[in-house]
Amino acid sequence: MKCLSISVLLFCFTNFLFSQDFTRQTFKDTRVINTHSVETVAKRKLDVRIGHRFGDLAGSGGGWQSFYGLENAADIMFGVEYGITDNITVGLSRTKGAGPLKKLINTSLKYRFFRQKKDESMPVTMTAFGLWSVSTMKQDTSNSEVLNNFPEFSHRFMYSVQLLIARKFSNVFSFQVIPSYTHRNLVPFNDTNNLFSLGFAMRIQLSKVFGIIADATFPFSDLHTTENGYYPPVGIGLEIDTGGHIFQINFTNARGIMETDYIPNTQSDWSKGQFRLGFTISRTFNL
Amino acid sequence: MKKVSISILLFPLVILFASLVADDQLDFVIEKSTPVWDVLEYLGEPLPNHQVNESVNDASAEKGKDLMLIGITKKPKRGKTKKQSKHFVCTSCHNIQKEDPDLRLSNPQSRLEYAAENGLPYLQGTTLFGAVNRTSFYNGDYEKKYGELVEPTRHDLRAAIQLCAVECSQGRKMKDWEVESVLMYLWTLELKLEDLNLVNDDYDLIQDAVSTFKGGKDEETINYIQSFYQNGSPAHFITPPENRDAGYGLIGSPENGKLIYDLSCMHCHEAKRYSFFELDNSAITFRYLKNNFTKYAHSSIYQVARYGTSPIPGKKAYMPQYTAEKMSDQQLEDLRAYIEKMAE
Repeated sequence: MKCLSISVLLFCFTNFLFSQDFTRQTFKDTRVINTHSVETVAKRKLDVRIGHRFGDLAGSGGGWQSFYGLENAADIMFGVEYGITDNITVGLSRTKGAGPLKKLINTSLKYRFFRQKKDESMPVTMTAFGLWSVSTMKQDTSNSEVLNNFPEFSHRFMYSVQLLIARKFSNVFSFQVIPSYTHRNLVPFNDTNNLFSLGFAMRIQLSKVFGIIADATFPFSDLHTTENGYYPPVGIGLEIDTGGHIFQINFTNARGIMETDYIPNTQSDWSKGQFRLGFTISRTFNL
Repeated sequence: MKKVSISILLFPLVILFASLVADDQLDFVIEKSTPVWDVLEYLGEPLPNHQVNESVNDASAEKGKDLMLIGITKKPKRGKTKKQSKHFVCTSCHNIQKEDPDLRLSNPQSRLEYAAENGLPYLQGTTLFGAVNRTSFYNGDYEKKYGELVEPTRHDLRAAIQLCAVECSQGRKMKDWEVESVLMYLWTLELKLEDLNLVNDDYDLIQDAVSTFKGGKDEETINYIQSFYQNGSPAHFITPPENRDAGYGLIGSPENGKLIYDLSCMHCHEAKRYSFFELDNSAITFRYLKNNFTKYAHSSIYQVARYGTSPIPGKKAYMPQYTAEKMSDQQLEDLRAYIEKMAE
């Protein structure tokens, strides 16, 4: 009887997901700039992604000496995301890493469980996102003060879970709220393993091809404050949709690309010119 | 006495045999649902070379239907086949229902209206309904597109199926049992007499011909029946207007253009069903299309409708062009008029 009830509930839920007239393209891509969006990769499609964050455009590390940051790479990401269903996406990527733990292998799972409907009976789209990062840095056993001393293998692990809630207000404007929880198994002295944060993202679609995107994430922590040299990662960018190919050019003060990296580790300040040019190329293939 | 008994016993047998022979001769009563090929065969027309080959094992019409509609079916032993194409299924570009009100003509406007009345999409490919009744495939200008590849397909439906599988749908070559399955399914879509829009006099004429048929070949009736449908789908490639700003110089009907947008463009582009390029009914989309009419790029409806796009490595989900028989210049202007109206 219990099984039957669960089956009926699952059927109703699946039916709810697949049989309604949904709002589409709240965001054009699965990522805004730093944050994920509520979008998932369509079933049987493979999204190949390359992301890049250059060095500081200005400030002490930028300017002419680094050709405005273009000669440095804060973080680089190569990854794929695959749509198991239209609502479930799995991802695998490698990032250089911009925080104290580098050489990251990231696996992710994304599940869109509510979709905004055109008849307004569901006003928002909700997606759960989970990320597991493993640092593959070489272990430094000679110095117990550094994080990559890795006393235990599990110290290489970092996690982030997010609830993405977005609404497409019109064909021009979409907005998203992102409560997040990030956990690092090993952190520097005085830092905290657990970090809650709240993010925001938006898109203004200028034309069929061009859109302005922006996002910001605010960690809730007594340590992660501007007084202590931490700044909220904020990004703004231009999104170009050429049909099957999304190209994003953005500026952000975040050095890291993955949530486990940029949420706890952003120490660059926009007002000091410590922001950088970044881009993401996404190309979807039918599988 | 013995002879009488034998005669009495044989008499009913002779009567029974005679009645069976007589029944055989009167058996073929044509009805509206009678397949056209049954009548033609009865009247002496040789069967086409795309008759189902019963010696191919593991083929079935059900598997053929799966392959055509979803691209995957059961393997002969166990498991499922690899998807025939990652990009398309047959119904991406072809209907499987009757799509022309009069099968003698290939008139895009009457087809569009028929599609709207019957809830069908309006597509670049010819319907597969009645495909087995045709004797010629990849006709006309398709040679310009596929070159010598069309030569073996012109009078061979199996070869045409394979060419469609590999080139048109950018998929894998099908195995013999898969081709035969598709063929079996296509035979379930063959023309019936009722599809030919015959009047009562036509039925009477055909019935008379069948009833009085003495063997051999009744050319006259065969030709008469075949005059009600085309033995191949004509295809003429045409170009965009020389001046894309001025268009074809025809006044467009937005109402007709809406039918084309909804039944044709949206069939593939809505929610990226078969294309990576999404179309919807938003003003942003219509403005984009309007702003690109004059461009020499895929974003121009003139360019993409008349030339289509090409499959390229990494992006094989291309768009086939519309021949003159599938979209008239007037219809393209109607589509433009609708886009202009919606972009306001």
